Amino acid sequence: MKAATKMVKTGEKSQNGSLIKASLNKALSAEAEWDDKDEFLDVIYWMRQILGLILGIVWGLIPLKGIIGLVLFLAVNVGIVYFYYNSFQKIDDEEYGGPSEILKEGLMTSFSTFVVAWILLYSALHTDL
Amino acid sequence: MLSDCLLIVFISICTALLGEGLTWVLVYRTEKYKKLKAEVEKQSKKLEKKKESGESSDRNQKKKIERQEEKLKNNNRDLSFVKMKSMFAIGFAFTALLSMFNSIFDGRVVAKLPFTPISLLQGISHRNLGGDDYTHCSFIFLYILCTMSIRQNIQKILGLSPSRAASKQGGGLFSPPTQLTK
Repeated sequence: MKAATKMVKTGEKSQNGSLIKASLNKALSAEAEWDDKDEFLDVIYWMRQILGLILGIVWGLIPLKGIIGLVLFLAVNVGIVYFYYNSFQKIDDEEYGGPSEILKEGLMTSFSTFVVAWILLYSALHTDL
Repeated sequence: MLSDCLLIVFISICTALLGEGLTWVLVYRTEKYKKLKAEVEKQSKKLEKKKESGESSDRNQKKKIERQEEKLKNNNRDLSFVKMKSMFAIGFAFTALLSMFNSIFDGRVVAKLPFTPISLLQGISHRNLGGDDYTHCSFIFLYILCTMSIRQNIQKILGLSPSRAASKQGGGLFSPPTQLTK
């Protein structure tokens, strides 16, 4: 019984792994077919988180300061996502309920990830408190 | 200062995991929750499909959709109710934890902000700190930001966040669990 549960669990794990791989492949190839809307939105979500972290680190290293950093982050973040779904994947945003539905997917979380990374690096490298 | 920041990030990872763990024990693993969640998801998806496919002015169809919406709303309400009880328990526990951390970091500048927060946020970002330099950051501000990012991501990784279809159809009732910092 226990062995069976274990087998099922490992099966689930490898299935999950292959699902992630398949999604990643799709995400990186242009004009992929997205049958499942949630899958595409998940890709956007995680792309945003990584983008937020990277931008936060870059802004902290430069260092960018003030409101311009926040505005620039929003512009770059939204711009990249827009370019990605509109030009790279060529998705019809009406299927998802308008462009705002895609553009706001995970934006708040990505924003907070960005701010945390920015503050951490800025405080560590450029201040002497 | 960096050690303070990293400690705060670590604290918020721990509290987020603890919060999710407690919610799992109190809510997610119960049969009632599982059943209700599956039902709500099924209904939301069905309703969404129906709304997309038939924009007919057929009266019967409209009535059917309305009836289903009503049912979904009721289920959603039950679901939030199941969650609410444990949320209260966890809320109390975390308020106690938070006040403990607050007293540890009392009056300490944990980080320097690269921007000046708007006056609305200065009450939080400059809480219990002396001086007029509003780029000084208090514990609570950094903790809230960390929690906002970490908790959501942990929920997403563990597959505990509500599905998109359900939260779209359910409106305001079916909101994700409240933040720990409230």
